[in-house]
Amino acid sequence: MHELGVVMEVIKVVEQTMRENNLTQVDTIVLQIGELSSMIPHYVKDCYPACVDGTSLEKTKLEIEVLSANAMCKQCNKVYPVVINKGVCPHCSSDAKELLGGREFFIKEIVAC
Amino acid sequence: MHEFKVLEIKKSIFASNEEQADQLRIKLKENHQFLLNLMSSPGSGKTTTLKRTIAALQDDFTIGVMEADIDSDVDAQTISKTGAKVIQLHTGGMCHLDAEMTAQGLEGLEGDDLDLIILENVGNLVCPAEFDTGSVKNAMILSVPEGDDKPLKYPLMFTICDVLLINKIDVLPYFDFDLALCMERAKALNPKIKVFPISSKTGEGMDEWVAWLRNETNTWNA
Repeated sequence: MHELGVVMEVIKVVEQTMRENNLTQVDTIVLQIGELSSMIPHYVKDCYPACVDGTSLEKTKLEIEVLSANAMCKQCNKVYPVVINKGVCPHCSSDAKELLGGREFFIKEIVAC
Repeated sequence: MHEFKVLEIKKSIFASNEEQADQLRIKLKENHQFLLNLMSSPGSGKTTTLKRTIAALQDDFTIGVMEADIDSDVDAQTISKTGAKVIQLHTGGMCHLDAEMTAQGLEGLEGDDLDLIILENVGNLVCPAEFDTGSVKNAMILSVPEGDDKPLKYPLMFTICDVLLINKIDVLPYFDFDLALCMERAKALNPKIKVFPISSKTGEGMDEWVAWLRNETNTWNA
């Protein structure tokens, strides 16, 4: 369950942002999670209530946007989505690629006052 | 009724770990301390390898060990008998260490006098590979009974490691483990990886590994 530590870090960053911007209430936290980030959105959602329990974010909602993983084929230079193609270029069948994204784990924004 | 507004943060949580890891490396460099992150699956012989490594290097360096486990202090007790300074880190269910936990562990170790600190990460070939601990070098152990296909199954771990120790080579005759093929698979993922076949039980191959660690520690701490 390695989502737990990462979600705790999210809580820390949000609380710090609240202090820096004199915010008192956070309605929603929006995360962006890359398909290849090793973070499973489902597990992030599962451990979130435990992480905010007893904090000022107890009533804050969590939204997750999944970012797709794209790669550029080193053989034919075309860009393709990695996961549905199982890491193999659908144009030329090469598996040599440069990952352009998909390993991210961002706090995109918070809705707060 | 409060007015809610949207605040863009766009902060990468992984980046914040990488920042903390970089800061830790800067601090280690200033203090002339070398931190090795040692990773492997459970039962690969990490603690036994560590005991032999400490025995071989304790005349050269003052050594400290951070034992990360989900719970228990079995390994810490074993290592404390070697004379090295040791601290047990409990991750409380977490499957890996991050840079902040490593920094906290270093503080708890109270080891300003230490030249070489070895972090025995949680036994796991998946998650520890994802998180930079702030170590100077990463090493991993793969043991013969685990199979030579492990580079294919856990590619990231083999990609991020500077050293691969293939342990338990004393039992090679009893397993279908192709040493050359395993090395080839690891090098395909990471051409720079140094591979040392060892037996932490008999001591075979340990000299080369210890020489590497001695050299890296001296270079970093110089």
